[in-house]
This record gives sequence, C-alpha cells and structure tokens, in this order.
Amino acid sequence: MKAMARPLIIVGAIVVIIGALLPWATFVLNDGAYPDKASLEFFDAPFGLTSFRLYLELLGLAGLVFALVPLRDRIRVLKAVGWGSAGIAVINTLFIVGDGGGLGAVTVADGHSAFGGLAATVGAALLLVGAYQLPKAPLAVIKPRLPFWAEWLILLVAFVALLLLVTETLTAGGHSGVSDPYIGPLFLSYLCAAGALLGVLWAFGVTKWISDMSERHRIFSIVVLLLCAVAVPFTSLGNDYWMTITANIGVYAATAIGLNIVVGLAGLLDLGYVAFMGIGAFVAANLSGAVAAEFGIRLPFIVAAIAAGIVAGIFGAVVGSPTLRVRGDYLAIVTLAFGEIFVRVSQNNIGGLTGGSNAIPNIPDLSLFGAQFNDSLTIGGIQLPGGVLYYFLIVLLVALVMFVFGNLKNSRIGRAWIAIREDEDVARAMGVKTGKLKILAFMTGATLAGLAGAVFAHKLATASYDSFQFNQSVTLLAAVILGGMGTIPGAVLGAALLFVLPEELRQFSDYRLMFFGLALVVIMRFRPQGLIADRHRRAELADEDVTGESLDDTAIKSPVAVAGVKEAGA
Amino acid sequence: MGTLLQQIANGLIFGGLIAMVALGYTMVYGIIQLINFAHGEVFMTGAFGGLAVYSWLLPADVQQIWYVALPAMLVGGAIVALVIALLMERFAYRPLRNAPRLAPLITALGVSVFLQEAMRIFFPGASSAVPFPNAFITAPLHIGSITIPASGLLMLVVSVVLSIVLETYVNGSRMGRAMRATAQDPDTARLMGINPDRVIVLTFGIGAVLAGVGGVLYGSYIHNIDPYIGFQNGLFAFAAAVLGGIGSIRGAVIGAFVIGLIKNLADIYLPGGTAYDYVWIFILLIAVLVFRPQGLFGEAERVRA
Repeated sequence: MKAMARPLIIVGAIVVIIGALLPWATFVLNDGAYPDKASLEFFDAPFGLTSFRLYLELLGLAGLVFALVPLRDRIRVLKAVGWGSAGIAVINTLFIVGDGGGLGAVTVADGHSAFGGLAATVGAALLLVGAYQLPKAPLAVIKPRLPFWAEWLILLVAFVALLLLVTETLTAGGHSGVSDPYIGPLFLSYLCAAGALLGVLWAFGVTKWISDMSERHRIFSIVVLLLCAVAVPFTSLGNDYWMTITANIGVYAATAIGLNIVVGLAGLLDLGYVAFMGIGAFVAANLSGAVAAEFGIRLPFIVAAIAAGIVAGIFGAVVGSPTLRVRGDYLAIVTLAFGEIFVRVSQNNIGGLTGGSNAIPNIPDLSLFGAQFNDSLTIGGIQLPGGVLYYFLIVLLVALVMFVFGNLKNSRIGRAWIAIREDEDVARAMGVKTGKLKILAFMTGATLAGLAGAVFAHKLATASYDSFQFNQSVTLLAAVILGGMGTIPGAVLGAALLFVLPEELRQFSDYRLMFFGLALVVIMRFRPQGLIADRHRRAELADEDVTGESLDDTAIKSPVAVAGVKEAGA
Repeated sequence: MGTLLQQIANGLIFGGLIAMVALGYTMVYGIIQLINFAHGEVFMTGAFGGLAVYSWLLPADVQQIWYVALPAMLVGGAIVALVIALLMERFAYRPLRNAPRLAPLITALGVSVFLQEAMRIFFPGASSAVPFPNAFITAPLHIGSITIPASGLLMLVVSVVLSIVLETYVNGSRMGRAMRATAQDPDTARLMGINPDRVIVLTFGIGAVLAGVGGVLYGSYIHNIDPYIGFQNGLFAFAAAVLGGIGSIRGAVIGAFVIGLIKNLADIYLPGGTAYDYVWIFILLIAVLVFRPQGLFGEAERVRA
C-alpha cells in the first residue's frame, strides 16, 4: 500500500486539476449564474478561472509538484493541500446541489453535463488517501538566525501579508455589506484555500520560524501588529459596514481575553461571564446622560468607563467569593446562576437602572475634539468611513486588555493562577494564597469585561439585557476554547471566527447556529487544545510533548519513560 | 388560604415535571461527573417525539381515545429521547471519556445548541410554538377550593412512581449495584468485572426515557411546545439536582419539589412576584452551594489524588 502513495497522489492531483476546469453546474442556478461562469463549458473559459476554481487549480498543481519534487517532509504539505481542495470541492458541490435543485445540477441535465464538482471531490479524496499513506517525518525546522534588520524586515512583510490575508478573507466574494447571493460558499472556499496555504507554510516550518522571530523581537512585533490594526480602515475593509463588524469583533475579543484570565489562567469555569459586560454597559449607559438613564448626569467617557470597570469588578468579587468554598463544576453553576439572575433582574428593570425590555436607547455618541465617533473622518485628504473612531477606540481597548493579560500571565500572580489551575491543593501547600488569588482572577476578568461593556454600550448606542444572555456567555467561552485557552492570539482568533462567520454566512443564517453547535462538538473531539494552543496546555491536553511531537510516537523509542509520563498525567 | 393551597398544588405538579428531568442529570453526573447540558434538549426531543406520534402515526379516530393515544405518545417520546441520548453518548461523549473536564462540558453545550436548532429547522412549524394536544382527560379536578388539571395530576403521579421504581432498581437490582459501584470507583468496578460502558449507556438510557416521558406529559399539561423548552426546564432540573446533592436520586426528586414549590410560592408571596421567581430559585441555589456545597443529600466531595 505504501508504494501506491505517490501514484495515488499524482492521479488525485490531476483529477482535481481537471475537475477545476470542467463545468460545475448544468444549468443557471436560482440566483443567477454560479460565480465565474462555473456552469459554462470548459472551452468557453479556458483561462478565465477565478475564485474557487482558481484555488482548486492552484492546489491541484501544488499537489502535483510536491508529489514529484523530492521533499523531506511531504506528508504534512500534501495533507494540507488535500484537505483544502477537499473542502472547496465538497462545499461548492453541496451548495450547487442544495441551491440549484438536486443531483441533476452536478451531473447531467437538459443535455448538459457538469462533473466538475464530483471530479474534484474524488480527486481530493484520492490525494488525501495517498497523503496519509506516506511515511511520517518530523516537523521541519528552519534554524538560521539572520541579522536583526533582516528579521525585522521579514516580520514586517509577514504581518503585512497577514493583514492582507485577513482583509481578503473578509471581503472574499467581493461584498461590503451588500449581499452577493453566493457569498457564503465563496467565503468558505477562500477560507479553505487560505487554510491550505497556512498549512503548507506550517509544514515547511515557516510559521514556526516567524513566530520564533516575533518572540525574539517582541516589542517590534507588537508595534507592527498595532500599526496593522490601525491600518485596517485604509484597506478594502474601510467602509461603514466593516467598521461596525470589526468593532464588534474587537469588543468581543477584549471580553474573551478577560474571560481567558478566569478560565484559561486560573482554570475557573465561568458560565455567566457576559453579565459583567452587561453591568459595565448599564453603568456606562446610566452615566452617559441618555434620556432614559436613571441618573441625569453626563460624565466624561473615561470616567464612566472607569466607573463601569470598578462596578463590574466589585460584582466580580461578589460572584467570585463562593470560590472560597465551592470548586470545579459547582463553581460553574454558581456563575451560571449569577448570569441568569442578572438577565432576569435587568429584564425587570430593577431600580429603573436597566430600562427592562425597552433597554436604554439613544446613548449619546462619543466625541473627541468636536469629532463625533459615528461620523466619518477626513485625515489628510483621505476619507475614512463612519465609526472609524470607535474602531480606533476599540483597538486601544484590545491593546490595553492584551497588555494586562500579557503582564499578568508572566507575573508572580499569573504563575500562581496557573498553579491553582493545575492543582489547587498543591498550590496551597506551596504557599499560594488560593482564596485571595481566585477572587482576584474574577475581579480582574470582570473589570476588563466591564470596560468592554462600556465601549459596547456607546458603540451600539443602546444597552439592552438581550445582548447579555446565556448564549452570549457560551459563545465567549467557545471563542476562548476554540482559539486556545491561555493565549492572547487564541482568544482574538476565536472571537473573530465566532463573530465573523455568522456575518459571512448570513446566507445560511438559518443553519448557522446548528453548525456552530456541531463545530463545538467536532473541535472538542479532534482538537481540544484549540487552534492556537498554549505550549504547556498542549502538552497536557493532546498527549504531545512541548516540541509538538506526539507522545505516541516517542513511545516506540522509550516505552518506560512514556508510561511514566502517562501515569503522572492520569 | 385557597391561594396558598392552589400554589402548593401547582408547585408540586411543576416539581414532578422537574424531577423527571433532574433524575437524568443527577444519574449521569453520579457516574461520569459530566454536567450533561444537553439533557434538557433530550426532554425537548421527547416532547416533539410524542407530538410526531400523535399527529403522524395515530389515525384521527384513535387520537380522541386517551388510553390509546397517551401511551402511544409516551412510548414514542421515550423512544425518540432514548435514540437521541444514545447517539449523543456514543458520538459526542464517549470519545472524550478521558479528556480534561472542560472538553465534555463544551461538547454538551454544543450538542444542546445543535439539537435545539436542528429541531427548529427540521420539525415542521417548530420555528414558533407548536400546539400540543391534551391527550388526557380534559376535565380538571376540583378538590375543595383548588383546581388541578387532570394532566397535571398525572404528571405528578407518574413522576413519583417512576422515581420510586428507579430508586428501588438502583438500590436493589444487580445492574443497579453495578451502577453504584461505577459511580464510586470506576477502576475498581472494572476490575470486579463490571463493564463501565454498559453501565454508562444504561444510565444515559434511563435518564433519556424519564426525560422523554416528562416531555410528553409537559406538552399535554402546558398545551404547546417549542424547541427551547429544554433549556429553561433543563436549567431548573439542573438546579434541582444540585440542590438535592448531585448524584443522589432521592435528593434530585426532593430538590425538584423544593424548586417547584418555591417558584410557585414566590409568584404570589415574595417581592417581585412572577417576574422574579427565577431570581429566588437561583439565589437559593447559590446559597445552598455556598453553605452546603454537597447539596441537601449529597456526600461531601472527596478530593482524589
């Protein structure tokens, strides 16, 4: 079977290439011709491949090249290529079947034939089967260290490339709030292609190399990343629609990082976390001078935001205080109960503070030097979209939260939290004041959520109990876990995915929550450590050692040592 | 006085419903220490299963005969709930048996969302509340000054009977002993020749059947169902299981009645009325957890090395 690997891959890659060229739909779909003339005959558009067919074509060619060129680590590269093309082929085929009316659309109907989708699917499957037959190889490592200016340059290029990749991903399918009927599948195809690209880079050791480099030049990387974030309004995302979406992502990312302190560092499961965001939002709303607010005073935003953080922090300490007596799952229940109480109480407009089901509407827009935050802005002749100032404010918020998280994680407090997470009794025996520190974790997390809530209320211009329900807590928790617990990029990536995907997949909006649930199950099954895993946690969760090698592989080399490790882990 | 008695009766009926769901939570937690958040959704699928049997399998003339229709619906609801729960156990939870504790909890949340949405999308008309037939005697009972719907009384009776049967089974039968052994120490139980997988499947199965029956009875008591009934009632049931001491069967039933009574009494006698009844339940839950974390009837949590 091993000898069959290469021929299988070559055949698979060729079939994928042919599949990309063949027509994909036999007739015009309900919403018009499928993108890029996918329903035309091959001869009509031989060089007109764009969009998902272009990605497939490139992936097929890459598969062919990598199968033929002598490469040390072929298996990971080809797996990435295989999964990418399989994803594109299956998504588009299923979409045409679902949207175009049955199997006729992807086989033969009305005298036309369209086997593109099926051919590509079969090819991708062959490619994958072949790739999995290949011998295993250790992960490639790029060692050389360059002079610092060269490394800076590479980092700069890498981050700019990342920025472009992100903006391209978001606008894939070419829309800016206007709905293209095929935006969903096109976006997913793009995501598959981008994933395959990243997978190939990872297999060549490039991502590891760059992340090591950014580790060495920490300050520089942070500055560049911040500049990239600030540059977003100047890219193709620079319109009102995307400013709103990215601002929302930012708020949720900040909240997710705060939650990451509680769950990821201290290991305290919080199922009512969004309530703190709600408290922050209501405090800020009441101090904003909105007509419906209980107090008729208008404080400067900074003061209101700090007040929101403090009040949320106090509630955090209150909710956290049962941690002195309650542990594990029981604690999760206390937080869940608190979250439910918050929702009920604010729904009933307690003390006139929350507006009940009327919410607190018309929170005044923020302004700075006379510029309203929701208006568009012109700097040096460049017209920036509306809401851009909110976007900048939120970038600042995320940076602040990241700064707090990063510093805490590597401090004495952070190490104590991690010790509590690993084993509370041992931590206490080692002199960690567990009670105080657990309450501190809740307080810190709640304060950050309160700040995020204050910004959120002003951005939305309303504060309603409906934005802070249990499912929001679950989504935030899912963002933290999906991205990877205990890491900053993980929380940001998780929040981005969970709050962008629904926007992009509006077309499937009816099904999206269902797929969200399914995705949670699948991720927990196959990658419980999250997409970007903390090194130590990865070692715990996936039976891998710190270098990323599977412990099962090392078992062959030294069974005794691994037995020891497993025993210790159990 | 009449109001008080009426509220107590309503509370007992509601407690009976919650008890049937809470038993599933408490048993699964007792054996594999998993908070099965999706259990409320099992209850919901049971209700829809009963409705499906009623509207698609039963001929129109049989629908009117309650002693045929109701048992058929109960069996249908129980089977649907059972199938869902077993699939869930096999494909979502079993692969995570040795995973860290957060993983199965997240999976449970995922399964819960998935089942709600799948039901909403695929069950005809379920995107809003679906009317549920009152498959039992429609005339309410008048006892003294209070009025009890017959279906409510049925719910209470069935719940109490099933709880007693379950308690007897777990304490008396061979399989029940195996369950208790697995709950106490899975590794030793395995050494004693107990197949933990079988015990776990059985536990999920019993919980699902109870929840399915509960779902159908809930439907005929409330007269309409929607895909989200599982979440709310599941939360109450979960609170009940914790209140009684999660892992304890008797505790779950008593906890459920306490919650039912508090909810209905709070509606009338506590400040805030119906708007705040939830709040009182959750405050009680927090108080119990803080001052008696093992619940009213549970054992103190042992710290394992």
